[in-house]
Amino acid sequence: MPYEALDFYDVDSLLTDEERMVRDMVRDFVDEEVIPKIEHACRDGVFPDEWRVALGEMGVLGAPLEGYDCPGLSYTAYGVICRELERGDSGLRSFASVQGSLAMYPIWDFGSEEQKQHYLPKMASGEWIGCFGLTEPDYGSNPGDMITKAEDMGDYYLLNGAKMWITNGTIAQLAVVWAKLDGVIRGFIVEKDDPGFSAPEMKGKHSLKASVTSELVFQDCKIPKDRILPGVKGLRGPFSCLNNARYGISWGAVGAAQACFDSAKDYALSRIQFTHPIASYQLVQNKLAWMLREITKAQLLAYHLGQKKDAGTWIPEHISLAKMNNVDIALEIAREARDIHGANGILDEYCIMRHMANLESVKTYEGTHDIHNLILGRHITGIQAFTREL
Amino acid sequence: MECTIIAETSGNSIHPITAQLVGAASSLGAVPTVVVPGGIGAEDAASIDGVSKVVSVVGDCFSTFDGGAWASAISPQCSGVVIAGATSIGREVASRVAAKKGIPIIQDATGLASGITITRPIYSGKAVETSTVSGDCVITLRANAFDAAGSGGSASVNVVDQSADVSIAVKEAISKASERLDVSEADIIISGGRGIGQKENFSHLDEVADLIGAAVGASRAVVDEWGMPHSMQVGQTGKTVTPSLYIAVGISGAIQHLAGMRSSKYIVAINKDPDAPIFGVADYGIVATWEEAVPALKSALAAL
Amino acid sequence: MTIAVLLKQVPDTTAKISVNGGRVDENAVSKWSFSPYDEYALEAALQLKESAGGDLVAITAGPARCEKLLRDAAAVGADTLVHVSAENINDLDSTQVQNLLAAAVQKSGASVIFCGKQAADTNAGSTGPGVAELIGASCVTLVSEVSSDGSEYTATRPSSAGHEKVAVSAPCVFALDKGITEMRRPNVRGIMMAKKKPIETWSVDDLGIDIGATGVSIDSHSPPAEKPPGQKFEGAESVSTVVGKLRDEANVI
Repeated sequence: MPYEALDFYDVDSLLTDEERMVRDMVRDFVDEEVIPKIEHACRDGVFPDEWRVALGEMGVLGAPLEGYDCPGLSYTAYGVICRELERGDSGLRSFASVQGSLAMYPIWDFGSEEQKQHYLPKMASGEWIGCFGLTEPDYGSNPGDMITKAEDMGDYYLLNGAKMWITNGTIAQLAVVWAKLDGVIRGFIVEKDDPGFSAPEMKGKHSLKASVTSELVFQDCKIPKDRILPGVKGLRGPFSCLNNARYGISWGAVGAAQACFDSAKDYALSRIQFTHPIASYQLVQNKLAWMLREITKAQLLAYHLGQKKDAGTWIPEHISLAKMNNVDIALEIAREARDIHGANGILDEYCIMRHMANLESVKTYEGTHDIHNLILGRHITGIQAFTREL
Repeated sequence: MECTIIAETSGNSIHPITAQLVGAASSLGAVPTVVVPGGIGAEDAASIDGVSKVVSVVGDCFSTFDGGAWASAISPQCSGVVIAGATSIGREVASRVAAKKGIPIIQDATGLASGITITRPIYSGKAVETSTVSGDCVITLRANAFDAAGSGGSASVNVVDQSADVSIAVKEAISKASERLDVSEADIIISGGRGIGQKENFSHLDEVADLIGAAVGASRAVVDEWGMPHSMQVGQTGKTVTPSLYIAVGISGAIQHLAGMRSSKYIVAINKDPDAPIFGVADYGIVATWEEAVPALKSALAAL
Repeated sequence: MTIAVLLKQVPDTTAKISVNGGRVDENAVSKWSFSPYDEYALEAALQLKESAGGDLVAITAGPARCEKLLRDAAAVGADTLVHVSAENINDLDSTQVQNLLAAAVQKSGASVIFCGKQAADTNAGSTGPGVAELIGASCVTLVSEVSSDGSEYTATRPSSAGHEKVAVSAPCVFALDKGITEMRRPNVRGIMMAKKKPIETWSVDDLGIDIGATGVSIDSHSPPAEKPPGQKFEGAESVSTVVGKLRDEANVI
């Protein structure tokens, strides 16, 4: 069955013509280049390099950034791109999120003019891949206590420490690494061949298998002085990046949910048990109706958040709510869809189990579900509940 | 009703569709003139029942196919309602004749009734259009949709020497590529499954495919187990296909396979197990072993 | 040199076609697309433009919804966009449509014209040869590839022996079958440029022609006849019966 995007409330009719054309371009790419290859990529545990090339050729990397050969699209268009990519696979969307929001964005916003001119065109074209080093083995939800540090050695910086769960790490030409310089978090651009830097791949994942996840290791890693990002100090730097990436995830999760719904609907209509299609049974219809309800709400959330991003009227808590909600419902939809598919749902003939396993990661990365609840809790009450004296 | 038929030729003789065109014209009460481009098979045309006369148009232009030149040469002989076959040559020449005369053309009719009321499939058969034409027009007819007129007639044959300027020059002939069609683009697919025993037996399906210009597909089971190319796989993780005709041989019809082919226009299933689920979606089911049915299929198709 | 490509907007071939009140219900069409063979025509035209130079004008005839098609063509590289405005295109017969397109081609100044071998709605295949006739051009149909050496054009088409390369001179029309390259994917830069590109809208009056009255009246559209329920036969001796039914009943071989 061809993919018919679920759009019960015609939310996409609110998009501009340009946004719809970008949507169709990415949707065709996913249909033609991603879906036929994704299961093999997952089995092999690789991110197909031709997807990098295609994303660069389409010109969608760093979608909302302007200048320096970047696309200059709206944030809404960026969201739509994430949704269409994640309908293919969360790993593919992760690649684009990391490249655009976590690696290109900090250079674009906090980099020097020379840094922007040097790095951004190559990253927009996909020639260079970037990654983002914030999380450490012992500091996930609590990045402020990171132990990776930089020392000013006069004519260079010396980096020591390790980062973990770094998407694209092993395949990246550069890493935007957050480290403490004199106790203050600063951003550094580390290149692949810098002495003392290595990025071993983490193996054995049951999730995001078509995405490269790595450690970044710095052992007396020497960085030229012009690689510090001059424009930001403190956690505001990485959190600005994360806001954009989380925004993209709130759209992306809708894509994964739509893929699961689509598959579940088709399966329920063609699967005969007790002489009738299982779609004719009330328990199955109840599940499908619930999926429709949640996807429609998530689409409206994502679209309206996109409008707020474009208008500049957003606050980080808006993004927390959408990321948390949309990933949460997408994961639940994947689980219900698996149930509708019965035993067939565990096979890689169907996209279900792959999306479900992917979404477990998506629920945790870029601010866990619970951390976003705490962000909202602080917003409501004015009392932070992340930490307390024991 | 004045009616002209543009004959279809095939090699050195008249193509069987020509008798169907005459049959259709006769059903409208017409006694048509048959125009034979290049004069090939004019005597055959004259022997079709119900033909008033045959005009054999001969000229140098008929040695190469140039629809414009052919139409220029035969158009003076065409009058009234002009009927041609909805073949690639028929469609093109008919379009040119219609444009030359400034009269409408309706292609690929599957039904005609006096009036003239014309039925034709549109949207690749997802709907049917019925229209009425008044005055002169050009109509092309789908092959095998109309009963052929019998033979035994003896119409007169007039030879007209009429050529036209050919503007297409053949530079190079390229012999038929041996590669087979891909399942995603074929209009007919014959697929094999585990029921055909072993990989080598696909050669029998290849032979059938060659006869009818079909692509050869496979179920996931044989792609995985026998190492058939993944590009042949039809189903959930293979290709989703919608050919006019899908012939499933030794395929039981797992839901994953059905997902890839159930939208085919017509499905023929050959399976020795009468309870195989593939029969649930088949338009024509044949309960037989492939060893018996495939050779029978080959000879029946070859006899067409 | 000006190259024209004639494009038709049709319901996507995967879209459901429903009939309402005796007509195919256009409002129920979930997605409109290029007619598939027109995509090959557009790609072949782009490739010719890139190798031989020139200006590519994309022409479509139909109601206002067709403008999207022109924007999509611009996003992959069409230079000039022409919309022959015809809200009532479904009521026009083939000759009238060909007259509109032929007049638009002539107004555009194009001498090399590409189109699909047939459109996915009527599946007719009259437009290429018909337009060629009206503008006095050569026409090669079922073309898979076109190239130019600067003076003449070489096209590959099927022949009884396989394929053949044929040469024609301008003015000429190429009606494309499935070509050797799929239509290129647009990119963001192309989409942004397409947004700014003006669309020239030409009415019948602008074209200065009289398309006359049609001799064809559409009585009705209807859903296809229900397929008979599946028929099951026993034994290999039934194969010839089934083959006969495929030919005469199903009309698929």
